[in-house]
Amino acid sequence: MGLASWLIAVPFLTAVAVALTPARRVRMIRWVAAVGCGIQLLLTAVLACRYWRLASPEAASMKDALLSKLYLVERVPWFPSLGIQYFVGVDGISVAMIILTSIIIFTGVLASWRVETRAKEFFALLLILVTGVFGVFLSFDLFLLLMFYELAVLPMYLLIGVWGTGPKEYSAMKLTLMLLVGSAFVLVGILALYHGAGLHTFDLQQLAGAHFSTGFQRWVFPMIFVGFGVIGALYPLHTWSPDGHSSAPTAVSMLHAGVLMKLGGYGALRVAVYLLPEGAKMWGLFFMALTTINILYGAFGAIVQKDLKYFIAYSSVSHCGFVLFGVAALNLIAFKGAVIQMFSHGIMTGLFFALTGMVYGRTHTRMIPEMGGLAKVMPWLATAFYVAGLASLGLPGLSGFIAESHVFLGGFFGNPWMNGLVTRTLTIIATLSIVVTAVYVLRGLAKVFQGPITDRHFEKLTDADPSEKIATGLLMATLFFVGLMPWFLINLVESSLMPIVNRLHASGMAAAWH
Amino acid sequence: MLMLPEIIVIAAAVAVLILDLFLTERGRAALAYMAMGGLAAAFLATLLAAPPAGEMLGGRFGMDGVAWWFKLLFLLTGFVTVVISADLLDGGARVRMRGIGFRGEYYCLLLFSITGMMVLISARDLVSLYVSLELATIPLFVLAAWRRGDAQSGEAGLKYVIIGALASALILYGLGILYGLTGQTDLAAIRGALQDGPAFWLAAALLMAGAGFKLTIVPFHMWAADVYQGAPAPVTAYLSVGSKAAGLAFLFQLFFRVFGANTAHWGMLVALLAAATMTLGNLVAIAQENIKRFMAFSAISQAGYFLLGFLGATDDGVAAMLFYLLVYAATNLTVFACIVWYSNETGREEIKDYRGLSRTNPLVALAMTVGLFSLAGIPPFSGFVGKFFLFSIASKAGLHWLVAVAAVNSTISLYYYLRIVRQMYIEPTFEGAERLRISRRLALTVGALAVSQVFLGILPFFYENVRAHTVGWIAALMK
Repeated sequence: MGLASWLIAVPFLTAVAVALTPARRVRMIRWVAAVGCGIQLLLTAVLACRYWRLASPEAASMKDALLSKLYLVERVPWFPSLGIQYFVGVDGISVAMIILTSIIIFTGVLASWRVETRAKEFFALLLILVTGVFGVFLSFDLFLLLMFYELAVLPMYLLIGVWGTGPKEYSAMKLTLMLLVGSAFVLVGILALYHGAGLHTFDLQQLAGAHFSTGFQRWVFPMIFVGFGVIGALYPLHTWSPDGHSSAPTAVSMLHAGVLMKLGGYGALRVAVYLLPEGAKMWGLFFMALTTINILYGAFGAIVQKDLKYFIAYSSVSHCGFVLFGVAALNLIAFKGAVIQMFSHGIMTGLFFALTGMVYGRTHTRMIPEMGGLAKVMPWLATAFYVAGLASLGLPGLSGFIAESHVFLGGFFGNPWMNGLVTRTLTIIATLSIVVTAVYVLRGLAKVFQGPITDRHFEKLTDADPSEKIATGLLMATLFFVGLMPWFLINLVESSLMPIVNRLHASGMAAAWH
Repeated sequence: MLMLPEIIVIAAAVAVLILDLFLTERGRAALAYMAMGGLAAAFLATLLAAPPAGEMLGGRFGMDGVAWWFKLLFLLTGFVTVVISADLLDGGARVRMRGIGFRGEYYCLLLFSITGMMVLISARDLVSLYVSLELATIPLFVLAAWRRGDAQSGEAGLKYVIIGALASALILYGLGILYGLTGQTDLAAIRGALQDGPAFWLAAALLMAGAGFKLTIVPFHMWAADVYQGAPAPVTAYLSVGSKAAGLAFLFQLFFRVFGANTAHWGMLVALLAAATMTLGNLVAIAQENIKRFMAFSAISQAGYFLLGFLGATDDGVAAMLFYLLVYAATNLTVFACIVWYSNETGREEIKDYRGLSRTNPLVALAMTVGLFSLAGIPPFSGFVGKFFLFSIASKAGLHWLVAVAAVNSTISLYYYLRIVRQMYIEPTFEGAERLRISRRLALTVGALAVSQVFLGILPFFYENVRAHTVGWIAALMK
């Protein structure tokens, strides 16, 4: 069994181990989960090193490639009569996303250390959810990808409905139904691709070699893009996000906003743009406009929020808009920006939600107007909050700057198929969101952390304990690492993005395929 | 001996009936095991009858890959039904149901119904087709009314008789027209001699109406809700799985064996019926309070998914339908086994009565959740795989709008399945609720069925096996 399969198996086996632990032994359950995620983190490190050794020599040759180059591939026929295989492997984008997921689940488990009620089911469901996510990032057979994708959506219902707060049943149901309607559209698209190619296979690489007519691409591309876009909080299908994230317990919000929403951008890039480049060229401008609305809508929405979690949720809607904006801009710099933003926002929002959980656990309120001067009693948490906030508004030195600068440059440079004036205008409008982001971030954080302590009871609050320090420390370190030394991440993903860009240039010229 | 399985089942039925005369009340508990034994023996006989092909009785009774699979499914469904009925009939339930008993007659009727279904899929002649359909259906009329003195059960039986008789009459009329048109009673000969024309359309419409009744296709589905709700829970389980499988078998016979190539233009009709069935079943299920009535509408909408397999008349479609029948049978029986158990232990049948089940009986609640998720088409359970293959058939026929309708319906169905999950996991328990006991026999069945949900989809063995037995079936028919 190769490394890729182990990366899927380890969280699943950890979930099984948790399920087999007696429900009373809560400490043991937590440690089993933490050790499992620790092993996953180690495996991810191994993956990153092996990928580096395998892919670096070949990176230059990717400049003209039309097919993604996959490593650590495992292929086992599954339903041979239908052309379905167990086909897993990695390329640069996958590795980046797997690193993100491993970090987030590990810190998520640490952030959930205090969960007491039905802890066994909580950790088991969390681990099953993350198995699905790892599966999506590793699958290159469309049936397998869809299966893992839906596997990742369903545990959300129980996690939010049982352990959440506020209007949790409503939020859980809305989230689950909307995400599954999105995956229903992806299903229609995948089946259309399968039958349209006539190759009798769901293999992504083989489908990449197939020719799809322009008319076909015209309706299948938006279907798949929107289907994945629902989970990527594409306007106007983002409405599940604020309620869902706010009602969810801390680790679930971290995982969802941090990782699951990236499935949207990943799917849009990996399936929609990679397989249907002409469709991408036809619809790119439309989706750039839609995502610009996303960026601004999320930002303005965040300004008026009084609940800290809704505040972060709307900020997530805005930042996820950057991801899809980058994907829709259809050039290499924008793609790089999109993937880096997926990584950066994932870490940043994971940090945000973790911190919100920690602050809420102490102050027992999430309402911004009720909090004040907390930096005096919780300096570590305040600093972490500020790091996350500054990353979100794109301060140089933190990863947010790298991501947003790439996305804006890419959007500004545009591409040969879309009206340059329009793309530049949209980019400028999107850039203005930085100002709005600065407003809500600085104002919100200043209210909560600076100034005099508003409530006497807050004076007795404690700062982060060791497990919380480890979790937030790891996340902050990652933000700084990518911000100060971005070339690792950029090099990781650049050579894997080139085939997608090359296909965009080559499509429309049938002879260029083979 | 091609007919061996049917003979075994009939022999078991007669043996149960006669033995019932001589046993004491206490000894009657053996009748369930007798029925189970008969069905198991027939299952083994069918399983070992390889290759499954041949004809007897002058070409009126035939066996092929498709018939083989159907028979295995009927026998399996019957076996599980007997197991889940046993507790209730033996008086092992905590909440005794008044007027329930007469075990010998119950198992005898059930076994007769199963025989009828098995002969139905093997029928190659108009008369044996009709008679076996009646043999499959009439015992169910009686079984639906099994609860003596209960007005709802009696009403269910009466409604079923009246509407069922009407459906049978329509089928008979349709079959009669076919005989009149072609002068043949052999199904293959009819297919050869049949020509498109108004008389054929009339016959087809009548037969589709009758088949639609059996399979609860909209707009012939109205009887299902009341009958499913009124009948005793194990009978409802059998209706939702066995009777539907029989309906599908009848539709197979009609569509492929009788109508043959004349159905080339029927794609749109089948698509519309499928869309209507899925949507209506789903929408009405949302509002239901009684769990058996709820399962009736769930079963109605599932029938819509089955219809997708007929589009394009391909081998892939046949394989997908058979595979989904297997998945659907296992899934529905999982959920119904839990429903039967719960109504045995508490006498309650409302959805809101399932509150907090996850805390009193976590494993049963988990089994029920697995069954419900599989019905909704959520991976990694088999329902997802089965539905995916069926949707693929619709996509292959170029009806992408139908795939979208089906996929969205699947999502809507999740909403109402989640209502039950919500009751079990999220809502607080009743005050003073305690762990309910479950008989070992039922626990084993529920557990095995729930576990099968995971494996039926993941292990390629089952689908590939179905595929291997059905490949070339349509081509062989059309020769």
